[in-house]
Amino acid sequence: MKFISIAKKDFRELTRDRRGLAMILLFPMFFMLVFGFAFGGMGQSNEPHNLAVVNQDKGATMPLTGEQVNFGNNLTKILEDSQYQDSEVHLFNVTTTTESEADEKIKQRDVDAELIIPENFSQSVVALSTANLQQQSLTSASASTNVTSTLVIRGDTGYTGFGTTQGILTGVLEQYQDKMVSEIQKAITGSSGVTADTYLQTRVESIPGTGSFTNFDFMAPGMIVFAILLLTTTVAAGLTREVEKGTLSRLKLSKMTSFDLLLGGLIPWSLVAAAQVVILLIVAVLIGFHWQGGIYTLLLAVLVGIIGGIASVSLGMIIAAFARNDRQAANLGTLISVPTSFLVGAFFSLPNVVIANFWGQPFQLYDLLPWTHVLSALRSTLTYGLGWEAIAYQVGWAVLLTVILFAIGVGLFAKNRLQAEK
Amino acid sequence: MTDTIIEARDITRNFGDFQAVDKLNLKIKKGEVFGFLGPNGAGKTTSINMMVGLLRPTSGQVLINGQDLEDVKKGIIGICPQELVLWDFLTCKESLMLMGDMYEVPRDELKLRVEKLLDDLFLQDKANTVVNQLSGGMKRRLNLAMAVVHQPEIVVLDEPSEGLDPQSRRVLWNYIRHLRDEEGKTVILTTHLMDEADRLSDRIAIIDHGKLLRLDTPSNLKKEIGEGDVVEMKLSDPAKNEEVVDILALMDGVHSVVKVEDALNVRALDAVGKLPQIIDAVETTGVHVLDLSVRQNTLEDVFIDLTGTGLRE
Repeated sequence: MKFISIAKKDFRELTRDRRGLAMILLFPMFFMLVFGFAFGGMGQSNEPHNLAVVNQDKGATMPLTGEQVNFGNNLTKILEDSQYQDSEVHLFNVTTTTESEADEKIKQRDVDAELIIPENFSQSVVALSTANLQQQSLTSASASTNVTSTLVIRGDTGYTGFGTTQGILTGVLEQYQDKMVSEIQKAITGSSGVTADTYLQTRVESIPGTGSFTNFDFMAPGMIVFAILLLTTTVAAGLTREVEKGTLSRLKLSKMTSFDLLLGGLIPWSLVAAAQVVILLIVAVLIGFHWQGGIYTLLLAVLVGIIGGIASVSLGMIIAAFARNDRQAANLGTLISVPTSFLVGAFFSLPNVVIANFWGQPFQLYDLLPWTHVLSALRSTLTYGLGWEAIAYQVGWAVLLTVILFAIGVGLFAKNRLQAEK
Repeated sequence: MTDTIIEARDITRNFGDFQAVDKLNLKIKKGEVFGFLGPNGAGKTTSINMMVGLLRPTSGQVLINGQDLEDVKKGIIGICPQELVLWDFLTCKESLMLMGDMYEVPRDELKLRVEKLLDDLFLQDKANTVVNQLSGGMKRRLNLAMAVVHQPEIVVLDEPSEGLDPQSRRVLWNYIRHLRDEEGKTVILTTHLMDEADRLSDRIAIIDHGKLLRLDTPSNLKKEIGEGDVVEMKLSDPAKNEEVVDILALMDGVHSVVKVEDALNVRALDAVGKLPQIIDAVETTGVHVLDLSVRQNTLEDVFIDLTGTGLRE
């Protein structure tokens, strides 16, 4: 088992190089601390806010005309069209979806808030207009058809993005109600009308489990993914050093195969990725991260972290297949892994760029990177305390993409570094 | 049956426009110490790398035991590179065990071999010391041990005594002789140290600018340029060196006159007897001799004679 000997060798080199090891483990810890202590809200003025609309409205029939109406659709259209004052910028990027998907989008911060239009929304608008009619004709306030519907605004109440979106949304909904009442009153002149909020109410709800959340709870898994991505740099530099120092030539002359070298190398690096998950989680918890789900989610997170680690090692191999020396490898590694951290959403969510749909789930451009799925899975499990069923889809993607990346890494490294120099 | 173990046929290697090795042809015999002698940059390491399969020749072929190098099973060659190729954070013992594992040496046997190597190369005291805490000489010896732990038929030593103190060099030279005499290995040695090539090699290939200039035993090489002595002298005005070279080259009994840096090497039979004539000839040009020594012909003189220069550093 030559790969075990290589794994032992790599592990010894890794643990005996105290300075290198400290860099790998302490650098991300520093980031975690900085983000943990210093994270504040980000200015979001005059930008469209991402809003998921769950329209459950079943529609209604207008009493006088017998016309079929759906005020839920009407409200959705208004939300889509609303713009900032004196500006072309829309208030919202509206995604219409189901409640469970909208909840998921909130968790992944793909949307800032979720608006649920209840099934009886149209009925309550019809009731509002009927009540006005009755008030006009019977001069009686007791409306027999009183139907009250409640619009739910849901989101992560600890997230500043939600606060802003909720404020704007509430304003738009108030205007909508006022307009609705005045439209009805215009039709039935001379009446002071009934109060709209008897019929239309709004309620702000927190996504279950996010009541006491802070922004940092959302950021911490991102920091873990950032640390895992930084392994790329260390692995690329380490492998290139092996080429540069000639130790790889020594191994090339022996009976060692590429499989032995790269599988052997994966084992200690996977352990480092696992250690990073545990250490960074401990640091995060110490500075206020609300870790959900206990040891079970930690074990899941370690598994997910290892998958991410293997993806980083694979990326490191690709870099090492081309870099001329270890310094160049380290620079290239940083140049690639840091922007990748941003792309996978380790620091903040990027706008939606859907390129396909799989099993009814939208597939974003960023979803081509395994770490995006690693991050989603870490967030689901550590921040929201969800179990295997909830992360299986993301883990599946992460594994598939990692296998592809690993195959590319092994192929390129073996071709460029493990054959006789051409 | 042939006793040739390695054969290079017309191997050439280009790096862009630069031709590092130019149609090298040679045969190395089983069980000999074969010296590759040449200045730095002569193409020794490139030739060696092609012969062990680390570098593909631009053209030509390398045969090992009559088989194309590509078909030769791994482990037949052990290479001790010019640079220290070691894992800094492994101990001596761990490094040797790792290499043994990579060559699939059975564990029990490997342990015995590692112990013996540590003894033979005086590294036993440092068996459990990590490489980056070893002295330069110890690292060199470990570098060598790692090339032979799998007991290859061919051992390639690329400038093995570079930077060694005299004591470590003696250990190394004895070990090279031991490899040939006791273990029957074929040793290929590249060096730019004449003394090392002369003392250790059964045959020497002199190579410069990627070309093989001569291939013979050290004594035959020395004979080839004639018995005799070498007069080394420095003139009061080095600007006149060329003029003096032309005059001395025409003298009877003088085999060759070569300018080596700012000195002149005059090779002649009975050089001592000819000294008065040589000095007179020099003084006719208006300069006088500042420094003068007479010594026996060495391999270096063979080299100077062949290449027209001293060893480049």
